[in-house]
Amino acid sequence: MAKLPVSLTINGDEHDLLIEPRKTLLAVLRDTVGLTGTKEGCSTGDCGACTVIVDGKAVTSCMVLAVTASGKEITTIEGLASDGELHPVQQAFINTGGYQCGFCTPGFIMASKALIDENPDRTEEEFRHALGGNICRCTGYTKILEAVLKAAEEIRTTA
Amino acid sequence: MSEYTVVGQTVARVDAVEKVTGAAQYGADIHPPGMLYGKIVRSKHAHANIRSIDTSEAEKLPGVRAIITQDDVPSGRRVFATDKVLYLGEPLAAVAATDPDIAEEAAERIKIDYEVLPVVQDVIEAIKPSAPRLHGDDTKDGPNRREISGQIRTLSRDKENDHSDEISKLEAELEAYPDEVYYNISAESHTEAGDVEKGFAASDVVVEDTYVIPRVHQTYMEPHVSVASADSSGKVTVWASTQGPFAIRSGIAGTLGIPLTQINVIGTTMGGGFGGRFGVIITHVPAVLLSQKTGRPVRVQMTREEEFTDGRPAPGCVIKLKTGATNDGQILAREALAFWDSGSVSGASIGSTIRVRGVYKIPNLKVDAYGVHTNKSGTAAYRAPGAPQAIFAGESQLDEIAERIGMDPVKFRLMNMREEGDAVPAGGSEPKVGYKETLEAVADAAGWWNREADENQGWGVAVGDWTNGCGPGGVYVSVHEDGSVRIFHGSMDITGTDTAISQIIAEILTVPYESVTIRRGDTDSAPYSTGSGGSVVTFTMGNTAKLAAEDAHRRILELASERLNTNVDDLELKDGAVHIISAEQPKSISLGELAAYSLSTTGGPIVGKGSFARQASTPALAAQIAKVEVDPGTGRTRVLKLVASQDVGFAINPMAVEGQIEGGTVQGYAWAMMEEMQYGEGGNINPGFVDYRVPTSADLPTVESVIVEVPAPNGPYGAKGVGEPPITPTLATMANAVKDAIGIRITELPIKPEKVVDALKSNGR
Repeated sequence: MAKLPVSLTINGDEHDLLIEPRKTLLAVLRDTVGLTGTKEGCSTGDCGACTVIVDGKAVTSCMVLAVTASGKEITTIEGLASDGELHPVQQAFINTGGYQCGFCTPGFIMASKALIDENPDRTEEEFRHALGGNICRCTGYTKILEAVLKAAEEIRTTA
Repeated sequence: MSEYTVVGQTVARVDAVEKVTGAAQYGADIHPPGMLYGKIVRSKHAHANIRSIDTSEAEKLPGVRAIITQDDVPSGRRVFATDKVLYLGEPLAAVAATDPDIAEEAAERIKIDYEVLPVVQDVIEAIKPSAPRLHGDDTKDGPNRREISGQIRTLSRDKENDHSDEISKLEAELEAYPDEVYYNISAESHTEAGDVEKGFAASDVVVEDTYVIPRVHQTYMEPHVSVASADSSGKVTVWASTQGPFAIRSGIAGTLGIPLTQINVIGTTMGGGFGGRFGVIITHVPAVLLSQKTGRPVRVQMTREEEFTDGRPAPGCVIKLKTGATNDGQILAREALAFWDSGSVSGASIGSTIRVRGVYKIPNLKVDAYGVHTNKSGTAAYRAPGAPQAIFAGESQLDEIAERIGMDPVKFRLMNMREEGDAVPAGGSEPKVGYKETLEAVADAAGWWNREADENQGWGVAVGDWTNGCGPGGVYVSVHEDGSVRIFHGSMDITGTDTAISQIIAEILTVPYESVTIRRGDTDSAPYSTGSGGSVVTFTMGNTAKLAAEDAHRRILELASERLNTNVDDLELKDGAVHIISAEQPKSISLGELAAYSLSTTGGPIVGKGSFARQASTPALAAQIAKVEVDPGTGRTRVLKLVASQDVGFAINPMAVEGQIEGGTVQGYAWAMMEEMQYGEGGNINPGFVDYRVPTSADLPTVESVIVEVPAPNGPYGAKGVGEPPITPTLATMANAVKDAIGIRITELPIKPEKVVDALKSNGR
């Protein structure tokens, strides 16, 4: 299959790539760029494990063709910590025990970050519904919600 | 105040940073140079004869490097179907290509000529003579026929006397049970204690019902994956996402006839397992075969759809249950007849039917269980395998009895619960257990005793028991010159077990948790370790870790006695240093100094070794209470409150223990209310998250967990396995709450809205 030139800005780095149009952003991140922190849980956009942030919005990268992301700013889980400091959402997931097997965690953290950036004042109920596109099978969500609320509070008070 | 400083404290897990930064390496993150992508070719029918497999069109596709079928399995062990397929998605061949999309395209180009056969998906249909047979013509007798046949056999064996009249009479009696010749039976299990007929005769109330529990998928978030690399010397390396690398090693060796020492299995970080991640054939063997054929590393990764069609989910079952009790609340007898849907192969956890006995004093018990073949994939363990199904039936029926005799469901349970020394029906006698404490704890925490419910609201309670397993393990502990401690072992971390092992060793060596690091080896390097399933790890590896740390502790005191020129008995390890007890001049030496000193001694470095395999475990109880509200218009059930208590023996890392309770309870909730693998003539019809709904955060409230600690005599610090118990009672908890809300007993799970609406309608509401 013929390949197309694509320019992706991933975690601040520019990547000029030649990509088959059928490849998803998820496949390119994992197999071409080698950023395997973003996970593939269903390939149908239903589980949220592959969530990354594209131009400020959380998207399931298995539902995005990489060629359509050309020129856009992409943040993956690998790009969240800065200067050796974990992002408050990451730290909150550790402190509350908001992860177990960890497979859904990158997607949850990226979705939570985008939601908090958009509006950190959501109630628990609102966060519960806003995170309804991400599946976790281990935690039962109780500690994930605790983490998200803690992170939102911290971001709210330090912003 | 705890006498301990590290165990019993909440700590961040050892893998915290790698898990939240995306650095943890799961199976699909492994990408050796030159790796090819494998794809399994699967049956498109649920039952069919295979006339031919034509790979020629697929071979022409550029980028295809190998196509294999059963002909490529030198050992002859069945990896791919040849003449017949028994379920949709059964593997027929596999492809390796330079790109995953090419592999998929090639798989689609393989032409398979099928002769489609009739399908059977329901266990009650499958046991009938009219059902298609999956494996020849095997039949088994049902309980009544079994008993009569047994009598005939006994009489026939007596050659001294003539029993021909009695025998022909009994043979005529057999005719009375024509429906008890069961077809498609894969396995059977029978247990009896006391005399149930007498028990029912003496009962004031007898309740009988049939419970139907669906097949559900463990739905670990990481689909099955393995990467295999066979080199030219014949050495095979497999990066496997598995709960048991050593079991995978022996499985590959046995299936493919490769010597054990020629196989190295590297367990990758596991994206959930819940019992479903032990299979050998599923991806590991095809990956090895493809790598052997191509001489290149090959990754075989299942899609979510493949997980649903060819995973090894939890078996569904049909349980006919009968319970008798007196009006004053004494349970006298219980009888179960269960049919477990084991799919195309045997292996369903039919022995777990015995768990209908619960934690109650039941003097008369009879359990007959059968595994039944259907046109589905085989099954595997799922968190307390078989227990949620059996306990759903048992605990649902207990509430019906309680209602008939007008007793509070919690009081009724407390009254019948076993205590230390009580006989376990068809078992031994109970050790010290915490059944009553655990149920009382959840009742208090949930506010059961002064519960209130508005219209369409209801409360439900149920309990479930489970006893953790045990298995072999080995641990090494080294103390380094900077005083840090390094642990080496071979067991897979299952959501926090490495952390518990680290805490135990830090506790014994009196060092801060932060100065302990833990490393898992592969099967080439690490001592043997049991699989991480059956809630074994903290029990087994915790005991193993304790032994290793105690061994290191001995060496530390020995070195200190040399160094301080003091008798070992006068020394004490405390706060990371050895001190002389009650010396006039207090004197101490740090662990780091001792480790440095050890390097130039005859005895050598501080290395503790622990090796352990088996000690008796102690049963643990999970007790749960739910408050629900049912919308009579839509049939939707909303959970208003979900409280879960569990006797964990001793919580080594309380935050992680709460996480296990919360997660297990939600999986149980999902089995009760949402999840069901559905099958039609063509096979599984809901192989994805849109049609197979698992709960999201939007479906649930906060789960309140309550930790109860009744120590296990042989557990590390009294710990019991915590992973499995919390899923066991939830199915019944939810059904009992719905019953309380709408007054109708739903015996067939899941309690989906449409089922509630139908139930209300058929009751004229």
